Amino acid sequence: MNLANDNDKSDVIPEGAAQAAILSVIVGVLSLALVNIATEASDGFKETVHGIGKLWMPGAGGIGPYSGKETLSLVVWLMSWALLHIFFKKRELNHRLVLVIFLSGVALATTLIWPPVYTGLAHLIKGQ
Amino acid sequence: MAESLTEKSTKKVIIAILSVMLFIAVIVPLITSPTNKLLGESVYSVRSAFHGLFALTFMITSVIGLYQALHLWRGMEVNVSEVEIGSVVNACACFLAIFFGNWLYIPYRAQGGPRSHFLETAPELHKIFFEFKEFAALFTLPLTVAAAYIICRYASRLIPNQNLRDLVALLLVLNFFYFIVAFGLGAAITKIKAV
Repeated sequence: MNLANDNDKSDVIPEGAAQAAILSVIVGVLSLALVNIATEASDGFKETVHGIGKLWMPGAGGIGPYSGKETLSLVVWLMSWALLHIFFKKRELNHRLVLVIFLSGVALATTLIWPPVYTGLAHLIKGQ
Repeated sequence: MAESLTEKSTKKVIIAILSVMLFIAVIVPLITSPTNKLLGESVYSVRSAFHGLFALTFMITSVIGLYQALHLWRGMEVNVSEVEIGSVVNACACFLAIFFGNWLYIPYRAQGGPRSHFLETAPELHKIFFEFKEFAALFTLPLTVAAAYIICRYASRLIPNQNLRDLVALLLVLNFFYFIVAFGLGAAITKIKAV
Protein backbone atom coordinates (compact mmCIF):
# COMPACT_ATOMS: atom_id res chain seq x y z
CA MET A 1 0.00 0.00 0.00
CA ASN A 2 2.78 2.40 0.99
CA LEU A 3 4.73 1.45 -2.11
CA ALA A 4 1.77 2.21 -4.28
CA ASN A 5 1.36 5.57 -2.61
CA ASP A 6 5.05 6.36 -3.11
CA ASN A 7 4.78 5.50 -6.78
CA ASP A 8 1.74 7.74 -7.12
CA LYS A 9 3.65 10.59 -5.51
CA SER A 10 6.71 10.16 -7.75
CA ASP A 11 4.42 10.24 -10.75
CA VAL A 12 3.17 13.70 -9.87
CA ILE A 13 5.24 16.58 -11.26
CA PRO A 14 4.61 20.00 -9.71
CA GLU A 15 3.01 22.51 -12.05
CA GLY A 16 5.85 24.94 -11.29
CA ALA A 17 7.81 24.09 -14.47
CA ALA A 18 4.75 24.87 -16.60
CA GLN A 19 4.10 28.05 -14.62
CA ALA A 20 7.73 29.13 -15.10
CA ALA A 21 7.40 28.55 -18.86
CA ILE A 22 4.21 30.60 -19.12
CA LEU A 23 5.53 33.45 -16.94
CA SER A 24 8.73 33.65 -18.98
CA VAL A 25 6.57 34.31 -22.06
CA ILE A 26 5.33 37.46 -20.33
CA VAL A 27 8.87 38.57 -19.48
CA GLY A 28 9.88 38.01 -23.12
CA VAL A 29 7.02 39.90 -24.76
CA LEU A 30 7.13 42.75 -22.23
CA SER A 31 10.88 43.13 -22.76
CA LEU A 32 10.26 43.39 -26.51
CA ALA A 33 7.63 46.10 -25.95
CA LEU A 34 9.79 48.06 -23.49
CA VAL A 35 12.96 47.89 -25.60
CA ASN A 36 10.93 49.13 -28.56
CA ILE A 37 9.61 52.12 -26.60
CA ALA A 38 13.14 52.92 -25.39
CA THR A 39 14.51 52.81 -28.95
CA GLU A 40 11.77 55.19 -30.09
CA ALA A 41 12.59 57.53 -27.23
CA SER A 42 16.36 57.58 -27.67
CA ASP A 43 18.37 57.56 -30.91
CA GLY A 44 21.49 56.59 -28.98
CA PHE A 45 19.76 53.55 -27.50
CA LYS A 46 18.40 52.65 -30.94
CA GLU A 47 21.99 52.58 -32.26
CA THR A 48 23.08 50.43 -29.32
CA VAL A 49 20.21 47.98 -29.93
CA HIS A 50 21.05 47.82 -33.63
CA GLY A 51 24.66 47.12 -32.66
CA ILE A 52 23.51 44.17 -30.54
CA GLY A 53 21.67 42.71 -33.53
CA LYS A 54 24.75 43.19 -35.71
CA LEU A 55 26.83 41.17 -33.25
CA TRP A 56 25.41 37.87 -34.47
CA MET A 57 22.48 38.15 -36.87
CA PRO A 58 23.30 37.73 -40.58
CA GLY A 59 21.92 40.69 -42.55
CA ALA A 60 21.30 42.75 -39.40
CA GLY A 61 22.54 45.87 -41.24
CA GLY A 62 19.56 45.58 -43.57
CA ILE A 63 17.12 44.45 -40.90
CA GLY A 64 17.89 47.50 -38.78
CA PRO A 65 17.24 47.97 -35.03
CA TYR A 66 14.55 45.27 -35.24
CA SER A 67 17.40 42.71 -35.22
CA GLY A 68 18.55 43.98 -31.82
CA LYS A 69 15.01 44.11 -30.42
CA GLU A 70 14.54 40.47 -31.41
CA THR A 71 17.90 39.54 -29.92
CA LEU A 72 17.28 41.27 -26.59
CA SER A 73 13.78 39.87 -26.16
CA LEU A 74 15.01 36.38 -27.08
CA VAL A 75 17.86 36.55 -24.55
CA VAL A 76 15.64 38.01 -21.80
CA TRP A 77 12.92 35.42 -22.47
CA LEU A 78 15.31 32.43 -22.35
CA MET A 79 17.27 33.70 -19.35
CA SER A 80 14.09 34.46 -17.41
CA TRP A 81 12.77 31.01 -18.27
CA ALA A 82 15.93 29.38 -16.95
CA LEU A 83 15.80 31.39 -13.71
CA LEU A 84 12.06 30.91 -13.18
CA HIS A 85 12.44 27.19 -13.91
CA ILE A 86 15.15 26.82 -11.29
CA PHE A 87 13.04 28.70 -8.77
CA PHE A 88 9.64 27.13 -9.46
CA LYS A 89 10.35 23.59 -10.71
CA LYS A 90 9.68 21.98 -7.34
CA ARG A 91 6.93 24.29 -6.16
CA GLU A 92 3.68 25.73 -7.41
CA LEU A 93 2.09 29.15 -7.48
CA ASN A 94 -1.63 29.62 -7.16
CA HIS A 95 -3.10 28.66 -10.56
CA ARG A 96 -5.52 31.59 -10.68
CA LEU A 97 -2.74 34.04 -9.80
CA VAL A 98 -0.60 32.72 -12.68
CA LEU A 99 -3.51 33.12 -15.09
CA VAL A 100 -4.18 36.69 -13.92
CA ILE A 101 -0.48 37.65 -14.21
CA PHE A 102 -0.21 35.98 -17.61
CA LEU A 103 -3.32 37.52 -19.16
CA SER A 104 -2.61 40.98 -17.69
CA GLY A 105 0.97 40.80 -19.01
CA VAL A 106 -0.15 39.75 -22.49
CA ALA A 107 -2.76 42.54 -22.58
CA LEU A 108 -0.20 45.12 -21.42
CA ALA A 109 2.45 43.98 -23.92
CA THR A 110 -0.08 44.01 -26.77
CA THR A 111 -1.14 47.54 -25.86
CA LEU A 112 2.49 48.66 -25.69
CA ILE A 113 3.32 47.35 -29.18
CA TRP A 114 0.37 49.20 -30.77
CA PRO A 115 2.24 51.96 -32.67
CA PRO A 116 0.07 54.97 -31.64
CA VAL A 117 0.61 53.97 -28.00
CA TYR A 118 4.37 53.37 -28.11
CA THR A 119 5.10 56.45 -30.21
CA GLY A 120 3.00 58.52 -27.79
CA LEU A 121 4.87 57.08 -24.80
CA ALA A 122 8.22 57.66 -26.52
CA HIS A 123 7.29 61.32 -27.10
CA LEU A 124 6.30 61.62 -23.44
CA ILE A 125 9.66 60.19 -22.36
CA LYS A 126 11.51 62.54 -24.70
CA GLY A 127 9.46 65.41 -23.26
CA GLN A 128 8.04 66.52 -26.59
CA MET B 1 -0.60 -13.22 -37.68
CA ALA B 2 -1.12 -13.84 -41.41
CA GLU B 3 -3.79 -11.12 -41.41
CA SER B 4 -1.37 -8.66 -39.84
CA LEU B 5 1.32 -9.47 -42.43
CA THR B 6 -1.18 -8.91 -45.25
CA GLU B 7 -2.17 -5.57 -43.71
CA LYS B 8 1.50 -4.48 -43.50
CA SER B 9 2.21 -5.51 -47.07
CA THR B 10 -0.90 -3.63 -48.33
CA LYS B 11 0.31 -0.48 -46.52
CA LYS B 12 3.75 -0.87 -48.13
CA VAL B 13 2.19 -1.14 -51.60
CA ILE B 14 0.05 1.98 -50.98
CA ILE B 15 3.05 3.96 -49.69
CA ALA B 16 5.17 2.81 -52.67
CA ILE B 17 2.49 3.83 -55.20
CA LEU B 18 1.95 7.21 -53.48
CA SER B 19 5.72 7.82 -53.44
CA VAL B 20 5.98 7.14 -57.19
CA MET B 21 2.96 9.41 -57.83
CA LEU B 22 4.53 12.19 -55.74
CA PHE B 23 7.85 11.77 -57.57
CA ILE B 24 6.10 12.05 -60.95
CA ALA B 25 4.01 15.01 -59.76
CA VAL B 26 7.14 16.90 -58.72
CA ILE B 27 9.74 15.87 -61.28
CA VAL B 28 7.66 15.91 -64.49
CA PRO B 29 6.44 19.54 -64.08
CA LEU B 30 9.94 20.64 -63.00
CA ILE B 31 11.49 19.21 -66.19
CA THR B 32 8.74 19.99 -68.67
CA SER B 33 7.40 23.39 -67.58
CA PRO B 34 8.78 26.77 -66.43
CA THR B 35 7.81 26.25 -62.78
CA ASN B 36 10.27 28.97 -61.69
CA LYS B 37 7.86 31.50 -63.27
CA LEU B 38 5.39 30.65 -60.49
CA LEU B 39 7.73 32.33 -58.00
CA GLY B 40 7.43 35.68 -59.79
CA GLU B 41 9.89 38.09 -61.34
CA SER B 42 11.33 39.51 -58.11
CA VAL B 43 14.95 38.75 -57.21
CA TYR B 44 13.61 38.05 -53.70
CA SER B 45 11.13 35.47 -54.95
CA VAL B 46 12.83 32.50 -53.25
CA ARG B 47 12.87 34.03 -49.77
CA SER B 48 9.28 35.27 -50.30
CA ALA B 49 8.24 31.77 -51.31
CA PHE B 50 9.84 30.21 -48.22
CA HIS B 51 8.31 32.83 -45.90
CA GLY B 52 4.91 32.17 -47.47
CA LEU B 53 5.38 28.40 -47.34
CA PHE B 54 6.22 28.35 -43.63
CA ALA B 55 3.56 30.93 -42.81
CA LEU B 56 1.03 28.67 -44.53
CA THR B 57 2.35 25.64 -42.64
CA PHE B 58 2.13 27.65 -39.43
CA MET B 59 -1.45 28.59 -40.26
CA ILE B 60 -2.38 24.91 -40.61
CA THR B 61 -0.63 23.90 -37.37
CA SER B 62 -2.10 26.89 -35.52
CA VAL B 63 -5.62 25.92 -36.59
CA ILE B 64 -4.96 22.35 -35.45
CA GLY B 65 -3.58 23.80 -32.20
CA LEU B 66 -6.74 25.84 -31.73
CA TYR B 67 -8.85 22.72 -32.19
CA GLN B 68 -6.71 20.81 -29.70
CA ALA B 69 -6.91 23.77 -27.29
CA LEU B 70 -10.69 23.50 -27.36
CA HIS B 71 -10.48 19.81 -26.47
CA LEU B 72 -8.01 20.49 -23.66
CA TRP B 73 -10.06 23.39 -22.30
CA ARG B 74 -13.29 21.41 -22.25
CA GLY B 75 -11.66 18.36 -20.65
CA MET B 76 -12.37 16.23 -23.71
CA GLU B 77 -10.35 13.17 -24.66
CA VAL B 78 -7.11 13.92 -26.54
CA ASN B 79 -4.39 11.77 -28.05
CA VAL B 80 -1.22 12.89 -26.23
CA SER B 81 1.16 11.76 -29.02
CA GLU B 82 -0.80 13.77 -31.59
CA VAL B 83 -0.80 16.86 -29.38
CA GLU B 84 2.95 16.44 -28.72
CA ILE B 85 3.87 16.11 -32.41
CA GLY B 86 1.48 18.90 -33.39
CA SER B 87 2.90 21.31 -30.82
CA VAL B 88 6.52 20.64 -31.84
CA VAL B 89 5.71 21.06 -35.56
CA ASN B 90 3.79 24.23 -34.65
CA ALA B 91 6.82 25.69 -32.85
CA CYS B 92 9.18 24.71 -35.71
CA ALA B 93 6.88 26.23 -38.36
CA CYS B 94 6.67 29.39 -36.24
CA PHE B 95 10.46 29.64 -35.99
CA LEU B 96 10.95 29.09 -39.73
CA ALA B 97 8.25 31.61 -40.69
CA ILE B 98 9.97 34.22 -38.47
CA PHE B 99 13.43 33.24 -39.76
CA PHE B 100 12.45 33.72 -43.42
CA GLY B 101 10.40 36.79 -42.46
CA ASN B 102 13.58 38.35 -41.10
CA TRP B 103 15.40 37.57 -44.32
CA LEU B 104 12.56 39.13 -46.31
CA TYR B 105 12.54 42.20 -44.08
CA ILE B 106 15.86 43.30 -45.64
CA PRO B 107 14.39 44.04 -49.12
CA TYR B 108 11.23 45.41 -47.45
CA ARG B 109 13.36 48.08 -45.70
CA ALA B 110 15.74 48.66 -48.61
CA GLN B 111 15.71 51.89 -50.61
CA GLY B 112 12.92 51.62 -53.19
CA GLY B 113 11.28 48.75 -51.30
CA PRO B 114 7.71 48.64 -49.94
CA ARG B 115 8.67 50.53 -46.76
CA SER B 116 9.92 53.63 -48.57
CA HIS B 117 6.98 53.38 -50.97
CA PHE B 118 4.50 53.33 -48.07
CA LEU B 119 6.29 56.16 -46.24
CA GLU B 120 5.92 58.32 -49.35
CA THR B 121 2.37 57.39 -50.27
CA ALA B 122 0.52 56.12 -47.16
CA PRO B 123 2.81 56.26 -44.08
CA GLU B 124 0.23 54.69 -41.73
CA LEU B 125 0.48 51.42 -43.65
CA HIS B 126 4.05 51.05 -42.42
CA LYS B 127 3.98 53.09 -39.22
CA ILE B 128 0.89 51.44 -37.76
CA PHE B 129 -0.05 48.21 -39.49
CA PHE B 130 3.32 46.80 -40.52
CA GLU B 131 5.04 47.82 -37.29
CA PHE B 132 2.28 46.14 -35.26
CA LYS B 133 2.46 43.03 -37.44
CA GLU B 134 6.22 42.65 -36.99
CA PHE B 135 5.95 42.74 -33.19
CA ALA B 136 2.77 40.65 -32.91
CA ALA B 137 4.45 37.98 -35.06
CA LEU B 138 7.28 37.70 -32.53
CA PHE B 139 4.81 36.93 -29.72
CA THR B 140 4.02 33.60 -31.37
CA LEU B 141 7.50 32.10 -30.81
CA PRO B 142 7.52 32.07 -26.97
CA LEU B 143 3.84 31.07 -26.97
CA THR B 144 4.34 28.04 -29.23
CA VAL B 145 7.61 26.99 -27.61
CA ALA B 146 6.11 27.21 -24.10
CA ALA B 147 3.07 25.20 -25.24
CA ALA B 148 5.27 22.51 -26.82
CA TYR B 149 7.48 22.39 -23.73
CA ILE B 150 4.58 21.93 -21.30
CA ILE B 151 2.91 19.30 -23.51
CA CYS B 152 6.13 17.29 -23.98
CA ARG B 153 7.29 17.63 -20.36
CA TYR B 154 4.04 16.55 -18.75
CA ALA B 155 2.87 14.23 -21.59
CA SER B 156 0.25 11.80 -20.25
CA ARG B 157 0.20 13.64 -16.89
CA LEU B 158 -1.36 16.56 -18.75
CA ILE B 159 -4.58 14.65 -19.37
CA PRO B 160 -5.96 14.44 -15.81
CA ASN B 161 -4.63 17.86 -14.78
CA GLN B 162 -7.17 20.53 -15.76
CA ASN B 163 -4.87 23.38 -14.59
CA LEU B 164 -2.17 22.33 -17.05
CA ARG B 165 -4.76 21.77 -19.77
CA ASP B 166 -5.97 25.34 -19.20
CA LEU B 167 -2.44 26.77 -19.46
CA VAL B 168 -1.70 24.93 -22.70
CA ALA B 169 -5.10 25.82 -24.17
CA LEU B 170 -4.50 29.48 -23.34
CA LEU B 171 -1.08 29.45 -25.01
CA LEU B 172 -2.46 27.82 -28.16
CA VAL B 173 -5.46 30.18 -28.40
CA LEU B 174 -3.26 33.26 -27.95
CA ASN B 175 -0.79 31.90 -30.50
CA PHE B 176 -3.66 31.60 -32.98
CA PHE B 177 -4.73 35.19 -32.29
CA TYR B 178 -1.26 36.70 -32.81
CA PHE B 179 -0.66 34.49 -35.82
CA ILE B 180 -3.89 35.68 -37.48
CA VAL B 181 -3.01 39.33 -36.79
CA ALA B 182 0.47 38.91 -38.30
CA PHE B 183 -0.67 36.75 -41.21
CA GLY B 184 -3.65 38.94 -42.09
CA LEU B 185 -1.71 42.21 -41.98
CA GLY B 186 1.23 40.63 -43.83
CA ALA B 187 -1.04 39.34 -46.59
CA ALA B 188 -2.84 42.69 -46.88
CA ILE B 189 0.42 44.67 -47.07
CA THR B 190 1.91 42.24 -49.60
CA LYS B 191 -1.22 42.66 -51.71
CA ILE B 192 -0.68 46.43 -51.78
CA LYS B 193 3.05 46.22 -52.57
CA ALA B 194 5.18 43.08 -52.57
CA VAL B 195 8.99 43.02 -52.29
